[in-house]
Amino acid sequence: MKKDLVIIGGGAAGLAAALSANHPNIHILVIEREKSLGGILNQCIHNGFGLHVFKEELTGPEYADRYLEAFLKLNIEFLLDTTVVDVKKTDDFELTVTSYETGLFKINSKAVILSSGCYERTRGSIAIPGERPKGIMPAGSAQRYLNIDGYLVGKRIFILGSGDIGLIMARRMTLEGAKVLGVAEIMPYSNGLTRNIVQCLNDYDIPLYLSHTVTNVIGKERLEQITIQEVDSNFNPIEHTEKIFDVDTLLLSVGLVPDISLFDSLDFKRDPITKSAVVNQFYETSVSGLFICGNALHVHDLVDYVSIESEKAGKSAQNYILNDRKQSNHLHTIKFNENIRYIVPQLIDFEHLEANIDLSFRVSKKMEAAVFKIIQNGTEIMTKRAKNLAPAEMEKMSLKIDKLIDDSPITLLLEEVSL
Amino acid sequence: MYDYVIIGAGIVGTNIARELSRYKANILVLEKENDAANHQTVANSAIIHSGHDPKENTLKAKLCVEGNILYETMEKELNIPILRTGAFVVAHDRNEEDMLDQLYQRALNNGVKEILFHDQSQAQQIEPNLADDITKVLSLPSTKVTYPWEVAFACLENAIHNGVTFKKNSRVTNIVKTEDFFNVEINDAEIIQTKSIISAAGIFSDQVAYLLEENVPYQIFPRKGEYFVLDRKAKGFINHVIYPLPTKKGKGVLIIPQVHGNILLGPTSQLQDEKDLLSNTRDGLNQIKNDLHTLAKNIPFNLIIRTFAGIRASSSYEDFYIQESKEFSNFFHVAGIDSPGLTAAPAIAKYLVNQLVDKHHLKENINFDPIRPKKTVFYKLNFEEQLALIKKDPRYGNLVCKCEKITETEIVEAIHGPLGNDTIKGIKKRARAGSGLCQGGYCEQTVLKIIARETNQPINKINYYGLNTPILVQETKVKP
Repeated sequence: MKKDLVIIGGGAAGLAAALSANHPNIHILVIEREKSLGGILNQCIHNGFGLHVFKEELTGPEYADRYLEAFLKLNIEFLLDTTVVDVKKTDDFELTVTSYETGLFKINSKAVILSSGCYERTRGSIAIPGERPKGIMPAGSAQRYLNIDGYLVGKRIFILGSGDIGLIMARRMTLEGAKVLGVAEIMPYSNGLTRNIVQCLNDYDIPLYLSHTVTNVIGKERLEQITIQEVDSNFNPIEHTEKIFDVDTLLLSVGLVPDISLFDSLDFKRDPITKSAVVNQFYETSVSGLFICGNALHVHDLVDYVSIESEKAGKSAQNYILNDRKQSNHLHTIKFNENIRYIVPQLIDFEHLEANIDLSFRVSKKMEAAVFKIIQNGTEIMTKRAKNLAPAEMEKMSLKIDKLIDDSPITLLLEEVSL
Repeated sequence: MYDYVIIGAGIVGTNIARELSRYKANILVLEKENDAANHQTVANSAIIHSGHDPKENTLKAKLCVEGNILYETMEKELNIPILRTGAFVVAHDRNEEDMLDQLYQRALNNGVKEILFHDQSQAQQIEPNLADDITKVLSLPSTKVTYPWEVAFACLENAIHNGVTFKKNSRVTNIVKTEDFFNVEINDAEIIQTKSIISAAGIFSDQVAYLLEENVPYQIFPRKGEYFVLDRKAKGFINHVIYPLPTKKGKGVLIIPQVHGNILLGPTSQLQDEKDLLSNTRDGLNQIKNDLHTLAKNIPFNLIIRTFAGIRASSSYEDFYIQESKEFSNFFHVAGIDSPGLTAAPAIAKYLVNQLVDKHHLKENINFDPIRPKKTVFYKLNFEEQLALIKKDPRYGNLVCKCEKITETEIVEAIHGPLGNDTIKGIKKRARAGSGLCQGGYCEQTVLKIIARETNQPINKINYYGLNTPILVQETKVKP
């Protein structure tokens, strides 16, 4: 089978990328491992999606539907219940694909967009001490069991980590009759959106224990009890701060990681902070023709931004296929100071400055007020003031290419200011 | 009436069951858990030691060296995975080099073959990530690793194939000796009659013995070991098993490449009172990280995907205790089997069964078939082989666990196999679904539904592992 563009993952990112890459001369195939398109949006039945893209509040499935309708009208080819198991790159990409219906087969494609989303960090990766009974699971898994399959995984719940999924599940499980006893967050601030703290915890009197973590788990076969403890600034538990909760379930909302292991065999540059590829402003990796977008590139807190980013990735892939646009050697890494954790894209290809560049980044700590400055060649070319910055909320800034004074590297500085 | 009841289906009990099934006898294996291989066998270092470490002239030394060799035959007959890693014991200074010389002598005395020394540069060349301050290593080429619970399953499946009966969820609650036989009570209810009992009850072996004996000749001291598991991406970071010099407390914290590409880091060694408290501790896990710096550099701690703890059944007797009861004829202790128990298990089985053959004049089972068929591991096949299999069975086309590349057929086989299991962890132990990077975050719900479908149970009846451990506890939707 030969294609021009294969999009791996038919969730929010893949659908948006497909829509924008669509062109009469481009043969696109979207591969989705689930039995339906829409990805994780299908299990996010709460509202709050679409405020930026559609200027209204939609549920996850509604948001997915908007894209799905448009997608289905275009008659873009797609495969469901199908998994990509291997990838090789020579001139083109050779993907090995499998499903129950089709069996194992190979697809050659000029370009690939990886929009495979992310996976949840588990108990093992953060080494929670204690026994290993049943009843400890990632919050997203519990969300799927509840919203797709219709089952609660427990009745007395504690949640570790204040990521958005954990907060959303605190409310969701409460509404289904479970008792949520609290949420512990190891950081001194929440890792979720402020609106979720308010709407999911405060409204239901669910306590949030900041600077706390789970330090013991008790239960032979089934979870019976957990202990949380306050931590010091080095995240070491402080003695005599133990609080004990009798629970049957511990949900983990301790971070998401881009799911790109499928492409481990391809040797592309990686960003140790985002745990995904280094990309240029076209969301293209150091492997020519391989584009990454959405949560597979870096974990977003708003799906709207996934869609916007993925549309650009789709457009870039289209351009790559139609116009044979190749990455130049004229790439510069965007530098930044310690108040910023990471920036995507990490690179700017100065030979192809075609449009303003969306910079997405996260700050390293909470700040009440700050100024962003873009510096090039010692000159401040752009500034922006911002209030209430937090690591949990992704920041965006558009780099206007007409402000660039030459083709030397740029630096993004974030400086805290007093109100 | 059974000729033999074997108590415990761990690595020792299952090896004994298989060895005994070479002879004409009516054999029953009892296991208190919902699966075989559930305590030490599922939580250990997976090393088939060379035999360099046990004190000379002990059963541990003899059976370890013999067991290491027996695994070669088992690999062919039972189709178990073995990775020939070899091992390095490392020294950091003159004093430790002297101890390394003593260890070399002990290994020679124990009959370990092909041992040799490497100096710093040779060792670094073979293992570039060894710690820089290592001055000399003792190389043990016969050290290898296996997949311990797969070995136990293979032995038990082969034993069942040769006529042995297996009963799980069967806790021995009492043993009464009558004139000619024993009455073994299971779960405070059923009584089973047997002429002989072999107790291979691991950490609980003293408690089992006390059901019968007045004075049990040993006491079990549970000794916990904690571990980290690194993802398969760590493969190649270190290719040998790396040991520090042994101390009184044991072999120390090791680096252990595994058959599926993972690497284990551990174990700690901590005596504790509880026999079944398998908890990880902050101190234990920190100790592993600290101790490892004497063995290697660039350790990819960022690839940790899991922690676990196991309990060694160390005993006051110090050596393996494999003897007939002094109080009751035909009750056989196989106890105190801590390290190198996994290695020695096949030799322990032969050692015991040879005694039984003599004592009970056992006749050979001429129908004994030593072969346990090879399991299909789909992802290891080449493209053409995979295509051929999918043609026969399209469920091979459905990839369920994408981290470890496990197909639906392999899961179905794990459910219905000769030692089938219908729990999430049972399937993980057999088919490895959920053993990877996402630890089942993605595939658990699919596995759960396949189990439900294959066993005709509603999905909320599917257990995580034990008998009453359902993943889904309450339905929320009202059915029309």
